[in-house]
Amino acid sequence: MPEQSVLEATTVPTAPSGATKPRSRRVLGSGVIDSLVVAGPLVAIVIVAWAIAPNFMTGANISNILSNAALLAIVGFGMTLAITVRGIDLSVGSAQAFAACVTGISVNSLGVVPGILIGLLAGVVVGALNGMLVTLFAIPAFVATLATMTAMRGVALLTTDGTSVYISDPHFTQLATLSFGGVELSVVVAILLGIGTWFLVRHTTLGKHILAVGGRPQAAAESGIRVSRVLLVVYVLAGLMVGIAAVLLSSRLAVVNGTYGVGLELQVIAIAVLGGTSLAGGRANVVGTAIAALLLATVNSTLNLLNVPSYWQYVAVGLILLAALSVDGIRRMSKSRTGRASQAGGAA
Amino acid sequence: MANDNVVDVRGIVQTYPGVKALKGVDLKVDRGQVLGLVGENGAGKSTLIRILAGIESPVDGEVWVRGERVNFHTPTDAQRAGISVVSQEFRLVPELSVADNIFLCHEISAGGVVRARETRDRTQELLDLLELDVDPGRLVGTLSVADQQMVEIARALSREFDVLVMDEPTAALSAPEAQRLLGIVRKLASSGKAIIYVSHHLDEIFAVCDVITVFRDGNSVWNGSTSKLDESALVELMLGREPQAFVHTLCGQDYHDDDRPPRLRVRELSAPGLRRAVDIKVHPGEVLALAGLAGSGRMELMGALAGDVRAKSGAIEVDGVPVSVRSPFAARSAGIFMLSEDRKQEGIVPHLDVTENTMISKPWAARKGLAKWFTLSGLENSTFMTLRKRMRIRVPHGQVLIGSLSGGNQQKVLLARAVESQARVMLLNEPTRGVDVGAKVEIYELIESLAEQGAGVVVSSSDIPEVVAVANRCVVFHAGRPVGELAGDNITEDNITALALGQFKEVSHA
Repeated sequence: MPEQSVLEATTVPTAPSGATKPRSRRVLGSGVIDSLVVAGPLVAIVIVAWAIAPNFMTGANISNILSNAALLAIVGFGMTLAITVRGIDLSVGSAQAFAACVTGISVNSLGVVPGILIGLLAGVVVGALNGMLVTLFAIPAFVATLATMTAMRGVALLTTDGTSVYISDPHFTQLATLSFGGVELSVVVAILLGIGTWFLVRHTTLGKHILAVGGRPQAAAESGIRVSRVLLVVYVLAGLMVGIAAVLLSSRLAVVNGTYGVGLELQVIAIAVLGGTSLAGGRANVVGTAIAALLLATVNSTLNLLNVPSYWQYVAVGLILLAALSVDGIRRMSKSRTGRASQAGGAA
Repeated sequence: MANDNVVDVRGIVQTYPGVKALKGVDLKVDRGQVLGLVGENGAGKSTLIRILAGIESPVDGEVWVRGERVNFHTPTDAQRAGISVVSQEFRLVPELSVADNIFLCHEISAGGVVRARETRDRTQELLDLLELDVDPGRLVGTLSVADQQMVEIARALSREFDVLVMDEPTAALSAPEAQRLLGIVRKLASSGKAIIYVSHHLDEIFAVCDVITVFRDGNSVWNGSTSKLDESALVELMLGREPQAFVHTLCGQDYHDDDRPPRLRVRELSAPGLRRAVDIKVHPGEVLALAGLAGSGRMELMGALAGDVRAKSGAIEVDGVPVSVRSPFAARSAGIFMLSEDRKQEGIVPHLDVTENTMISKPWAARKGLAKWFTLSGLENSTFMTLRKRMRIRVPHGQVLIGSLSGGNQQKVLLARAVESQARVMLLNEPTRGVDVGAKVEIYELIESLAEQGAGVVVSSSDIPEVVAVANRCVVFHAGRPVGELAGDNITEDNITALALGQFKEVSHA
């Protein structure tokens, strides 16, 4: 009520002409352009792969790329959120191995549905642990998740006693490849989670708070946002994404062990940053993450088809990560040169 | 409660490690009243505002709102009690749009989903109210500082409130924008809001406030009706003594007869934000002031001279030698020192002590022997102590962290840095922004002494009385170009204002 009288008490001048139309398109537009920046290289790589790699354009290979990309993208959406709040989650690889092992054991002993739920829970628990380390103990995300990464790797190996666990239940092992009009379940899940994450960032209050906390934590706190709660939620969501990917992965492979997901964190950081999510925080590009996941999966698959030794694949991921980081860095630099007002927010 | 006090602050005490910021202050404001809260920097105004905003909790004392004792633990508590704050440090997120910033943390939403259309419409209403012509969807990081200030104000107005606290709301605004804002403040008051208005601009205080409360050294020393005071009485209350007058001595000297090359010569310089190439000259011992509204081009020119922004074309000479200022480092190497208008972000290094802050720009060539490689604490300390005396920096010793000083003292340390940088050209942006009245005069004296020692000084300022006080010559900018040059007795507030507003013909050429 009081604010009503504010507006009444003052003469409202007529709105400046032509200022009403193009606004939402602008915000959407910048996101689309950012995504196209990644889509360009993706198209180029697909064309090159098609030309030089035998069997690239086969149904089996495309389907393989899509499901690999789906698993990367799902973890990538969580990483996108973590990076948006100026954080990072290095534990995704070990957490995925841990959640996969827990899923395998639980499916074998308790059945499909409890097995899946416990697998998801395992991811959430690691996420909550990360979130608590970052908020309650104020440990920088990089080292906090570095520690959980190491610890969870050990726990994953301990759960299976260092061996592989085969999952016998056919209902579970057929799950990931369940086809919806030719599209695998993992791809469908990735698309739904992508839309969900995009909607979260763009259209919900929590999403605005995530962007605010990442863009300028001090301003967010003084605006009344409970910063630690936002951070906790983000890490829990990142953990949940890891859990979902782990369940899909164990279903697909029908066997789990504690060495899964080594180096996953770098691949996932690479796709998030390549997709246009800024390491400086405050800018999330969920669509970009999905496209970059496709790009990385295509590169990996092409190198496989060309029989390039797997060592080179490490080199490739490293180079892609460096390229993505350089683009992000240059973009931040040019931003701080043009607008001094945005400098404080732009510099990490 | 029988009275109308919407806010009643009683005996608030606040301490920080080693400092007693508030020693038991009182403040009362009624519905429909504008209260001017004035005091020097460090008097405790900002601390009280942070308490009213729920950002800090006081050590002792009581805050009553509408007759109820309140205890704010978070900013949300304060907002719920009906206190809305326009903060001096913008609480805006550059990566979010204008609309999202305005409704940050009180989004118009249903089930956690933001209603974009309604948010935009409400934002447009607020922007129209403030006569601010920006797109609600535009990212705040792309706005000018003045527009960001207006968005911060729109944000405070977007909440339901009974009390509006405005901390230096006009600091980044041009004169017409400030006037418009004062009109809005009056209207809000007449609609029954209580307003606490904090400003260093005493003319604004007298123009808009019904009552005044004066803080000094963490105490509330005076409160009463505005009509009982005049400007000089108010300044005396703020200082606790009579203000010193500043008389400058270099006025009217004619540098054009000097046969030395100018310290700084700028030829045909064009830079982003300038709509015409600029030529200026600054002679040794001269203070050239650049005046003009925000966005008039003077800040853009300073940025190009300091290497913050690259000039598109043109030449810069220092002492007759062409120099290239492609970066702040290049400018520094060329003998150009810049004092940023954003002291906190771009000036002080808060976790270093005053001596380290002074020495940080000392060039390699000026360091001798071992001092080239090592920080010799004895030597640096004695250098600082000499400067401390000369520049009247109020610190007990050279190891005080600069972050703990008042704005005026910080600025003096930065001027000491300018001296140690041995620059021949000093670019001073808003040298007394956020500096209290007493320290202002001392800083003017320091600027004058920098010039007396032979530097070419350029002062860019939005504070017109300041320009009149320090300038030997003054170039006024309007709409991206220099529109007039004033010297000697022609440097008057009227002339500068007229030029800055684009009224070139009315300038008197007495």
